[in-house]
Amino acid sequence: MLKRLIPLLLGSISLGVHAAPTVTDSQLQALATERHWLNLGHYQPGRFSGWRSYVDDNSFFLAADGASNPASELQATLQALYAPVGDDPNQHAQCRYPSRTRWLSEQLQLSGLPTPECSEYREWYEDINPHATVLVFPDAYLNSPSSMFGHTLLRIDSPDTQASGTSLLTYALNFGAMVENMDNSMLYAWKGLAGGYPGQFSLLPYRDKIGEYSRLENRDLWEYQLDLSPEETARMVEHVWELRQVIFDYFFFDENCSYRLLELLEVARPGLRLTEQFPLTAIPADTVRAVREAGMISDVHYRPSRERELLARAEPLTPPELRWVRQLADDDGVLQSSEYQALPAPRRALIQEAAYRLVRYEAAGQQRDSANAARSYQLLQAINRNPPPALQIETPTYPEFGHESRTWQLAAGSREGRAFAEYGLRMAYHDLADNLAGFPLGAQIELGDIKLRQYEGNHWQLEEFGLVNIRSLTPRSALLKPWSWQVEAGWERVAGEDGKRRLVPHLNGGGGFAWQPWDGVLGYSMTTMRLEHHRDFDAPLSAAAGFNAGLLWRNSLGNLLLEGRGDYFDNGEVRRSLQLAQQWELGRDLGLRLQASREFSQFSAAQTEFALQLRWYYY
Amino acid sequence: MKRILIGTVLAAASMNVFAVAPGGPGCGWGNMLFEGQSGLPSHLIASITNGTSGNATFGMTSGTNGCDTSGRLAYNGKPMLVLSSIMSELSEDVARGEGEALTTYAVVLGIDVEDRDHFAALTHAHFSEIFPSADVTAEQVHATTLSLMSKDPILAKYAEQA
Repeated sequence: MLKRLIPLLLGSISLGVHAAPTVTDSQLQALATERHWLNLGHYQPGRFSGWRSYVDDNSFFLAADGASNPASELQATLQALYAPVGDDPNQHAQCRYPSRTRWLSEQLQLSGLPTPECSEYREWYEDINPHATVLVFPDAYLNSPSSMFGHTLLRIDSPDTQASGTSLLTYALNFGAMVENMDNSMLYAWKGLAGGYPGQFSLLPYRDKIGEYSRLENRDLWEYQLDLSPEETARMVEHVWELRQVIFDYFFFDENCSYRLLELLEVARPGLRLTEQFPLTAIPADTVRAVREAGMISDVHYRPSRERELLARAEPLTPPELRWVRQLADDDGVLQSSEYQALPAPRRALIQEAAYRLVRYEAAGQQRDSANAARSYQLLQAINRNPPPALQIETPTYPEFGHESRTWQLAAGSREGRAFAEYGLRMAYHDLADNLAGFPLGAQIELGDIKLRQYEGNHWQLEEFGLVNIRSLTPRSALLKPWSWQVEAGWERVAGEDGKRRLVPHLNGGGGFAWQPWDGVLGYSMTTMRLEHHRDFDAPLSAAAGFNAGLLWRNSLGNLLLEGRGDYFDNGEVRRSLQLAQQWELGRDLGLRLQASREFSQFSAAQTEFALQLRWYYY
Repeated sequence: MKRILIGTVLAAASMNVFAVAPGGPGCGWGNMLFEGQSGLPSHLIASITNGTSGNATFGMTSGTNGCDTSGRLAYNGKPMLVLSSIMSELSEDVARGEGEALTTYAVVLGIDVEDRDHFAALTHAHFSEIFPSADVTAEQVHATTLSLMSKDPILAKYAEQA
């Protein structure tokens, strides 16, 4: 206890001794505009002049105007570093801001600093034992629109993680919104877009994140080993400590998880410029691409989801064997049946492994059920007696090698003999017929899609303004029976009186099933509902029920989409169409698309349209 | 100074508590196999912003898996802490005889690289002892593993350390 007293006494004696060094004003101003200092405070240029920090939390700043004044924050930090050590040394500025402390003492060759015992920080740091950094990208998850863009997080490896293959023992650094459980989804979506949620960093065992993504959400994980040195990783983790419990504003499109992680990489390696590439939106796959282009990726590891593993296990099985899988998954007593035992042992190994995985797959996200647990256990025992060969899953195209997110479109075509040129821009990101590498077949997310037409005689028309258009076609198989669905909202041209085409705001959606009869072929069929406001209809809002069925074929040129739609309105209008699109993939970021359609309506005779479209995926 | 004293007394008291309930209440050490991993209630919603609810966890200091990590030295906490969170995966790997969870378990038990294959083979051969039923807890798995290791000429030295 005497030992504890001494620093206290010394602290009070030395009050007058520890004083901030005299730093000239010009020195201070120069230092405060250094890139690394701005990075540590998460400053960005203000709207008109000066600076503003992304941190929306007064506790992060030492100066009253620290959020907008890097120089006064630097001055205040300097003062605080020399402050006497109080009752709780862990509250001292040096313990709260290890990263600022290190940088300032290096830059100013600070001497005579008090030496608080930062036990909390040290214990935390030693537990993480940072050595290397891995960027983790959980791939898009088809059946949840929210996560369709993917997500990014960082994994902090210790010195022996790579060699011993123990990434389950590492920590994951995640930036996310703090969501109160009570919120409903509409409010949530709005707040996410408008920035109503506070965002925070959290650090949790990587194994928990794997469970969340690979097991609950069936998302593949991509693990990118970054070339950050141990020193650079340490510099970043040091700064992460400064950000614990600190609140940032969270915006879905730009100031999101990916943006924050890029900022951290800039702290790790001063001089690195990643964030400035994303002034508008930061789509996770794009940020992975930015890191790839900065040459920071030294190795890639693919961690397939549990769903993909199950499907891979089921792949070599015959239809009768798949029926055994289903039976075993429903009743482990079948293991003992003489019929089952009559199957060759190597086949049984595969069947019971698939059955076990199916049981676990179906139990994911559920509370523990003792009957289910007992069944899983019986299957595990069977696996133990007759283990299957190791599962080999081929690594798909890396997502960052897929086409870029924004698309410019230029088309020439003819509608009922009238020639037109069409100019289009889509803000994000992929449709069913787009260049496929790096994307799953049957997934579509389009946001902000605008098309302008110039008909002959220089007659201009807005052809389409799509707000959102999402389609998720997941094939049903012998084991898994997922739903397929779609939702779309925006303005589009449809048939009107006198053969005219009216621009109508609309909202439509549908649900149904998809099948994969052969590799590379996806058939689907959905029931749909539609609401629209059409000036030639009597009612301000008309509703329709309908269907949407089609075929997606992956051929040697690219994707072919053939589909039929029908909308039967409450007012008697029947609108049907047949559409064909064939993409010719010219390169990663270039495609040529042939489009043809024939539309039928009560208003006029059927109309035919052809177009050839150049699609350039850019930025 | 009084505060320091009280702190010491409390620390000592809580040591005794750990002796009874290692890891503290709500800790996963008593979890059984195939414990449900339920997500956030508003799971779909949370996944948009990759949300965390309530207090953001920040590494060891805020505890992991509901376990109080301050008792870890006395109770060989790291292997238990890890084991309780990967038990289902571990049971699969032991059944098959290989896998990431099994490697991880070997590492937290302090087993050197050259002996890990042997450890995998030993646990694979004794799957039904280590996991006698679906209701086995992490503590029991840990205890059985150690006793199997202590009877093994190669692995005995690690069991003593652990």
